[in-house]
Amino acid sequence: MDLNLTDEQQAFRDEVRAWLQANVPGEPLPPTSTPEGFAAHRDWERRLYDAGYAAISWPRAYGGRDADLLTQAIFQEEYTRANAPARINVLGLGLAGPTLMVYGSDEQKQRWLPGILSCEDIWCQGFSEPDAGSDLASLRTSALREGDEFVVNGQKTWTSSGRFADWMFALVRTDRDAPKHKGISFLMIPMDSPGIEVRPIVQINSDAGFAEVFLTDVRVAADNLVGELNDGWRIAMTTLGFERGTGLGSHVRFSKDLEELVALVKAVGADHDPLVRDRVARLYAETEVYRHNMYRTLTRLAGGKPIGPEASLNKLFWSEMEVRIFETGMEVMGPYAELTSKADAAVDKDTWHKRYWYARAACIYAGTTEIQKNIVSERVLGLPKEPRA
Amino acid sequence: MNFDFTEEQYQLRDAARDFFAGECPPSHVRAMWDDQTGRSPALWRAMAETGFVGLTIPEEHGGLGMDEVDLVLLLEEAGRAALPEPLVETTAIAAPTLVEAGTPEQQAHWLPRIAAGEAIATVQLAGAPFAVDAHVADVLVLERDGRLHAVPSERFNAVAQPSLDGARRVFTVEAETGPDTAMAGGPDAAAKAYDRAAWATASVLGGVAHQLLDMTVSYVREREQFGRPVGSFQAIKHKLAETLLVVETSKAATWYAAYAIATDRADRSEAVSVAKSYASDAERKANLEALQCHGGIGFTWEHDLHLWLKRGKALEQAYGSATEHRARLASRLFAS
Repeated sequence: MDLNLTDEQQAFRDEVRAWLQANVPGEPLPPTSTPEGFAAHRDWERRLYDAGYAAISWPRAYGGRDADLLTQAIFQEEYTRANAPARINVLGLGLAGPTLMVYGSDEQKQRWLPGILSCEDIWCQGFSEPDAGSDLASLRTSALREGDEFVVNGQKTWTSSGRFADWMFALVRTDRDAPKHKGISFLMIPMDSPGIEVRPIVQINSDAGFAEVFLTDVRVAADNLVGELNDGWRIAMTTLGFERGTGLGSHVRFSKDLEELVALVKAVGADHDPLVRDRVARLYAETEVYRHNMYRTLTRLAGGKPIGPEASLNKLFWSEMEVRIFETGMEVMGPYAELTSKADAAVDKDTWHKRYWYARAACIYAGTTEIQKNIVSERVLGLPKEPRA
Repeated sequence: MNFDFTEEQYQLRDAARDFFAGECPPSHVRAMWDDQTGRSPALWRAMAETGFVGLTIPEEHGGLGMDEVDLVLLLEEAGRAALPEPLVETTAIAAPTLVEAGTPEQQAHWLPRIAAGEAIATVQLAGAPFAVDAHVADVLVLERDGRLHAVPSERFNAVAQPSLDGARRVFTVEAETGPDTAMAGGPDAAAKAYDRAAWATASVLGGVAHQLLDMTVSYVREREQFGRPVGSFQAIKHKLAETLLVVETSKAATWYAAYAIATDRADRSEAVSVAKSYASDAERKANLEALQCHGGIGFTWEHDLHLWLKRGKALEQAYGSATEHRARLASRLFAS
């Protein structure tokens, strides 16, 4: 057990820290839910790309740095600590790109990977549908082969960056008669295709980060199919496996949340209330334990060991912890908690309750809390499956 | 960066698991409930022979010269076995405290005897009302007015205070300290001894909680109602998934605290309070769900479950409850 960084890791950390210090915009960029905001974030991605930081985990052959997991975690820690802008092509860089590296043809890799890396092409994910959320395999958007094309009809929802994306990697049903997991294919769809209509979804925190995407007789070239026809479910499971890697270094975010909570408690004068102190100390302990478990996961993965039981628990851990952090903040603000930034008397700049609602969303997206508990109890504890209809 | 144990450390854990499975099965723990002293000199001697007892004692005094990172998995195993013997007090607290804060005479006298299994050491720290196993202890490491003393058994009287856990033996102690019992270390040494106590107890709680969860998972897979295993009902599955979450993640907290003590990191005391508060809460959750999911059978004296239920409840409070450790964290968080 040794938590010190090597000289090389320390040098990389110093390099990243210095670059971020020199380059992170002093004022926060406008929100990504507006066209100006999205454009500003695209410019920021370009600067990361020019500096060689767009996707350090990617192999050198595809323009990355071949960075190992610990180096990736160091980058993420520094990035979060520096309050650098939100990344807008996480789905392209973290999911579509790595999936293409495994399942794409050489021609497909050459065609799409450079645009993903430079963020010239922003990607969105077309998996969820109105009736296919937790039960994703019941998706109905269909793609029927006609000559050299697929004709796609259906609806995708909860599409992050749907309004601004250039491409969608989608799951489509290509065989209606096959069992539900067997008739699905993985298809790349240009978002400027005729027949695509994108409607932003305004969320309860008043942002519009998601969209609904309606596809009506959308014609997609057959060579946009990734992998074999009807093999999409297996590919999608690989894609979702990459999602697990996106949490590296996320402990810094929660430690920062906690620091902000402590500052808020002091600002409203609740720091002598023993009940508040107990709650905040409990949350501090949770963020620390999350950090310790992050070290554990990183060590396992870096050593080439299979992901441990703590990693399946990861999402459950942080999503519920984050709700508790923001909930506590709302409570210590008391009557001021309900005020928006438009109110003269507001004690915070509208951010706390927005983040509270977004934390609530995290208990729903990427596998709800209940689905996570099913997975953990069945796959880690080995409890019997619920009888299925 | 490496947050994992070495092959040797895992081998020690496996050896401990095998050893306790053979020497300290539930039937032994039960026998200790009814035993006059509740302690087995034969078991303690065997633990000394394997090196467990002298693990933290330097080699020149007959021990293995290891540290908290080596010890933490052994403590988890002791919790899984509900070991009655004072491994926490002797090996995790008193011995390293004598090593760091004892006078040369105290070290030369006690450390070889402890390593050989000839002397048992216990502690009473930070105003705690009781000392564990004072009836069999040859030396008591006592904190009085911020100073540590090594008090030999002829200089203290122990009065038994029966515990809810029949395998635990706790005592009020009247000790006669003097300049000749004083240890060399000052308040820092006393603070570190307390950190060791809280950390070691958290580590044992990790093992207790693990065992409670294991027993419960086995039970709900077997037990059938309404024509299917009760463990197939979501109401049960979700409880146990929540329990696994806190029990499993608490281990990394006690490992980190072990590392922080062994390497004297600046955040040692915070790391210990994080570990003790979180591990106590995790065990409390396991304790609640274990009895609930066992149903009526778990409420019987005859079933072994309560050997761990009661150890857990005792250790939750020992060397600082979750609430006390959170108060300690809060005073740091809100210091300025």
